[in-house]
Amino acid sequence: MYFDPVLMIALPLFAAFLIPLLGRVSKEIPKYVPVVMIGFNLYESIMMLPHSMVKPIIVIIAAWKPPLGINLTIGALGNVLALIISLVGFVVAIYNVRFVQKEPTEKYHMLYMLMVAGATGMVLTGDLFNLFVFLEITSISSYALTAFIRDRNGAEAAFKYLLIGSLSSTFVLLGIALIYGTTGTLNMADIAEKIQHVDSKITIVALILLVTGFGVESEMFPLNGWAPDAYSQAPTAIGAAFGGIVVKAGVYALARLIYTIFNFQGVFFFILIMGVITLLIAEMSAIRQKQLKRMLAFSSIGQMGLVLIALGLATVRGVEGGLFQMFNHAMIKPLLFLSAGYLVYYSGSKDISDLDGMGRKKPLLSFFFAFGAFAIMGLPPLSGFWSKFIIISETIRGGFVVVAALALFGSVIEAVYYLRVVGRLYFKQPNESEKTKYVHASAILAMSVLALVVLFAGLFPDMVMSYLKPAATELVDKTAYIKAVLTAGL
Amino acid sequence: MIYYVAAFSLILIGAYAVLVKKNMIKIVLGLSLIDSGVNILLVALGYINGKTAPIFSNPSLKAEGMVDPVPQALVLTAIVIGVAVTALALTIVIRLHDHHKTLDISKIRELKW
Repeated sequence: MYFDPVLMIALPLFAAFLIPLLGRVSKEIPKYVPVVMIGFNLYESIMMLPHSMVKPIIVIIAAWKPPLGINLTIGALGNVLALIISLVGFVVAIYNVRFVQKEPTEKYHMLYMLMVAGATGMVLTGDLFNLFVFLEITSISSYALTAFIRDRNGAEAAFKYLLIGSLSSTFVLLGIALIYGTTGTLNMADIAEKIQHVDSKITIVALILLVTGFGVESEMFPLNGWAPDAYSQAPTAIGAAFGGIVVKAGVYALARLIYTIFNFQGVFFFILIMGVITLLIAEMSAIRQKQLKRMLAFSSIGQMGLVLIALGLATVRGVEGGLFQMFNHAMIKPLLFLSAGYLVYYSGSKDISDLDGMGRKKPLLSFFFAFGAFAIMGLPPLSGFWSKFIIISETIRGGFVVVAALALFGSVIEAVYYLRVVGRLYFKQPNESEKTKYVHASAILAMSVLALVVLFAGLFPDMVMSYLKPAATELVDKTAYIKAVLTAGL
Repeated sequence: MIYYVAAFSLILIGAYAVLVKKNMIKIVLGLSLIDSGVNILLVALGYINGKTAPIFSNPSLKAEGMVDPVPQALVLTAIVIGVAVTALALTIVIRLHDHHKTLDISKIRELKW
């Protein structure tokens, strides 16, 4: 039994703007609003899952039937991503309850809610312009959250992010203008049907504009310059949310564009090559980093490179692997970030070299970090192994042996720098300095949930895959999606 | 035609400001110029010569005499978004100026790859 899916966007938006008022009543309330609201989203997306797996759920808003009105189109893919976003959002919201001490806390919670609501909207909507609006809601709140810590570097990172982000959204808007000018519609399914009659010179320009625009949020090379700064200067929980929420929504938009809306075979090869370049450059930059959070940020870009490779393969199995990789990354990267945040806090510096011996001083935190590192490297019983295995074997089957070799090479580099940190945690003598403050129970709870999901997905990959298969099929074969939307009003 | 020329010149002027200027306020101005350019382009797409705004104030006005209202709705939304981005950008510029005592973006480079 699920409620109207519009509530998944409307309620968090409404609650976000209610937070300042609630904060006047009591300082305690704003902390729990995101937990409740995103918890509701989580419930909704779990309850909708059995329905959307069979057939996309089309929500008609204000009785304007598609293709005229704005409608929500919740197919298998959108629902899986909404589930990932709500799950990460929920876990990070639990972590936030005790983590956010710095004033103004209510603004933090408000912006966080807006970010999650925007990302949820991006994956649920069936309208191209609506996608742009939700992209803007997500990115404006991300800019503000990047600058939340009022120091020099936070503002600098936020300004960089804002510059590249707002330029990219201009590209998106230009692309939408071109598409609307030639097809006369904004509904994604309707565009997909009409775009084959449009002059291919115009569609290719629109495609380039839109891919550039959404490439920024999905961390595609060379548009990912914002990522390392934003990840490392934002509050830790926000860094986790960037990896688990914002980037996922960006990749969804990119996948929707290249698979559903446009009809170019050449773009897949382009995405594949960009994926390889993104992966290699990010991994090589990560190994040079001295700060823990920057290293994690580059590793996050590298993971996205792997997802792009999978999307560029354009086979059902390959896309499945890519989605699995997105799922893994969404679970593991927040785990790494949240534990790294506390490790950095205890060691008193952002540098990796100051983490010596934390494994003995803070065994639980170090365990979570090591667990996440092993999972993301792809150690067999954990979930990272399966997604990498699928992607690389699919790449070889697709005939791209060189790409597979390069991806494996990237994975080796990844293993090197993660093991270097884990080794420092456990096999070095601890420093003398001691901070006696305990990890909050809410943070432990948040990290345990993520670790359990990772372990579960690693032990039962078939169960996860059974949900990802319809999602991948929806992308590769777009006819069912188009038909479901365009016949919804009849 | 003139609208398209105006739109693209605004976009190009804005892009020039963003890419070349060192002063952060000018960069933000450039961003909002690009925004305006794109908005004009959107409105121009929906404009049909000799037709008027789709407001049902005059009963003699028929649907054939109206321009496409969808781009206008889009532009309204885009203007609001543009205002939000510009305001936030200026806030960040103010904070950067507080910390660095300069508006020159080439002097603010503490974060590097």
